[in-house]
Amino acid sequence: MISFFSPKKLLPRYIQTFEAYVPSRPDPELMKRYGCSRLFRLNNNENALGPPPEAREVLRRFPPKAAALYPSGDAFYLRHALARQFNKDPEQFLVGNGANEVIAFVIKAFCEQGDNIVTADKTFAVYEWVARFSGLEARLTPLRDFAFDDQAMLARMDERSKIVFLCNPNNPTGTYWDRTRLCGFLDRVDGRAVVVMDEAYAEFVEARDYPDGMSLMETYPNLVVFRTFSKMYGLAGLRIGYLVGSSEVVNVIRRTCIVYSVNRLAQEAALASVPAMDHILATRQMVREGKVYLHRELKALGLPFISGEGNFLMVRLPFSDTLAYRKLMTRGVMVRTMTTFRFPNYIRITISSMEAMEALITALRRILT
Amino acid sequence: MEPRLTVQLTLKAYDVLLPVATGFVEKTALTLGLGKKEALALALATEEVFLYLCHISAPETEVEIRCRSSAYCTATDFIFEAAGFQMKAFNLTAIPSFEDEASIQETGLLIASRVVDRFNLHYVGKRLLLTFVKDKAYPETAGLDVPVSVPLSRFFIRRPDVEEVKAAVRMIRHYCRDRFNPPEIDFPGKVADIFASGELDAALAMDSVGHIGGALFWSRDVPEGVECFGPYIFHSESDPEMAIGLLDRCIEEIARSGAVGLINRYSGTGLPPGYFEPLGVLTFSRGDGTRVDVEASYRHLREDKGIVVWAHPDLDPFLESQYKKCILPREIQWVTVEGEKKFSSSVLSAEMNRFGHWVVLRPLVYGEHAATALADHVRLLEKEGFSSIFFEMDLKNAWQAHFTPGLLKNAFEPRLVIPYGGKGDLVVFQHRTHDKA
Repeated sequence: MISFFSPKKLLPRYIQTFEAYVPSRPDPELMKRYGCSRLFRLNNNENALGPPPEAREVLRRFPPKAAALYPSGDAFYLRHALARQFNKDPEQFLVGNGANEVIAFVIKAFCEQGDNIVTADKTFAVYEWVARFSGLEARLTPLRDFAFDDQAMLARMDERSKIVFLCNPNNPTGTYWDRTRLCGFLDRVDGRAVVVMDEAYAEFVEARDYPDGMSLMETYPNLVVFRTFSKMYGLAGLRIGYLVGSSEVVNVIRRTCIVYSVNRLAQEAALASVPAMDHILATRQMVREGKVYLHRELKALGLPFISGEGNFLMVRLPFSDTLAYRKLMTRGVMVRTMTTFRFPNYIRITISSMEAMEALITALRRILT
Repeated sequence: MEPRLTVQLTLKAYDVLLPVATGFVEKTALTLGLGKKEALALALATEEVFLYLCHISAPETEVEIRCRSSAYCTATDFIFEAAGFQMKAFNLTAIPSFEDEASIQETGLLIASRVVDRFNLHYVGKRLLLTFVKDKAYPETAGLDVPVSVPLSRFFIRRPDVEEVKAAVRMIRHYCRDRFNPPEIDFPGKVADIFASGELDAALAMDSVGHIGGALFWSRDVPEGVECFGPYIFHSESDPEMAIGLLDRCIEEIARSGAVGLINRYSGTGLPPGYFEPLGVLTFSRGDGTRVDVEASYRHLREDKGIVVWAHPDLDPFLESQYKKCILPREIQWVTVEGEKKFSSSVLSAEMNRFGHWVVLRPLVYGEHAATALADHVRLLEKEGFSSIFFEMDLKNAWQAHFTPGLLKNAFEPRLVIPYGGKGDLVVFQHRTHDKA
């Protein structure tokens, strides 16, 4: 008998049509292929200042032998530190291997076949991806004025809508809902679905009317907040993020939470980073200066841009963003193309050190001529 | 969206089982949607292949036959041990011969390849996968009313239904007849079937009362990317705002699909500036003998991380210049000839567009006499009136690069590289036939 094995036969239909995300190659490989001798990474909204000094010290003194030991399975000490910081119960926190993992925890906990999630079309892609490769419908609503459209999202909800994902401030537009708008939305959801507010960039926000999701959980027990140590705290390479919610909701999500997925070094560095106010202020200062510089230079270049909260902004180019990526790479500047965010011909730029910003503007000037 | 069905049968290669094989294919093809005539053609191809396999196979050899449904065609696969299988009969240039028993048997393969619309050959380990495809028969659109084209002062973009797809295809045939369009445009029903199956998607620009102002189609037929057709603007030569609206919708739909790039080979005019990168031109001939250069263009949907491509050293100057022009990071591996054994013959497939007088050759097997096989194909195709002869080489497949010396020797010139146009980058060669025109 000739056997002809096709793994496709075993796949659920929703996986057959889903294609794997291919991450970027390591910097040395990209530099070799694009022929550049240095590279400014302005593509992932990383913090150019790196981790706070307290976390650096943890990394420096981490004993190699400790790598042989399993970490705390549920980030015990980190959860307690976060609880103290935010005046909550440690059981209200779940720590994951980056915020991406906690997105999967929530979806697995609440959704089954036939359910849907509601989010925006032009936002962080992972909500949509996790839903789709879990066999769920991702209901996407267009942005209005580059911001999440509350009315449209409410209109797309039905009895099978289990989770609404908001990105506040939105990656990549930097727009945000203020407290009034957020509360109005939560009132109208009225407990029919879990509302996840992804606050990955919350620590960058300086606007006074930006709402602190954590302060609303007592009023809205269906609200879940995501935070990450990857952006402001400069620990992206260690992959650690967390969610906070009411005890009732978090106890449910805990059932699908993968324990021991966050390594010891990440937990200890994150623990040392709470609250790191000096680091936050220094980073905000860098971002502020970078934005002032970029706004001025982009206007001089005649390039429209969208700049809100967060350590990034978007620039509209007169040609393909993916071509711009290749051209900028040859000049040692890596940006994020926005076609995959459904913003063709836009690039997203991480606000970074002044040296990197100047290198970007020089490179942009060259590729525009 | 209709489910794709696969029906499978495994038989020993004994000629007494021939009626089982042909009956299986005919009945299955009918069940999967082919007409009687087309199902019989597949059954005839099956008869010839199965009989051939019975003659060349060792006792107890098994042949797996699969029939697969698609929106507009049925494919029949044969999977078998490949030892002794003479693939040269699948060349368009093969000539029937009745000189001896072996020639008569191979003539059966030749017949099989001629009664189907397309075929493909490739190795799955030591076994050969031979695929025959027969399309459903569709009526041409001639004589049907074409929707009126009016200027739209306000329009919105949306996904059409099947009837709107057919209307848009008739409008393309009528209002955009000077453009080089994919052959499927001749059959609105076929386009509608492909669209309904999900293999093709579309966006229309319409006004509030239902007038169609423009259209764009896109297909995931390219392994790593998406190919789009249009934007077609019906009332005027160009409408940048409408073209951008249609393209933005397409890009929004496919941006997170995993596709690497968006290819546009039939754009002609009407592409809004900044959306695509020009790759180069291919020269086509019109029915009246005049020549026209059609620009192919491309845009990445993702950041290019760089890939390894395989090429023959003779292609070095061309590839270097193309990759430099397009700023594509590529690591070129050069193929070598170091005395290794080749297949006994080279085999090409030919996709013909008789209306447009063009043909695309694609390599199926690299073996002995590659240059001769190319020369024979060119001679035959020119004799049959094809004035534009292309050859597509996928640089992901190292073996295809070995055709390069034969191509250059036979007056083919590399015209452009389509990034990820195949499984890897695709080099399109064009025969310099048109120089004689």
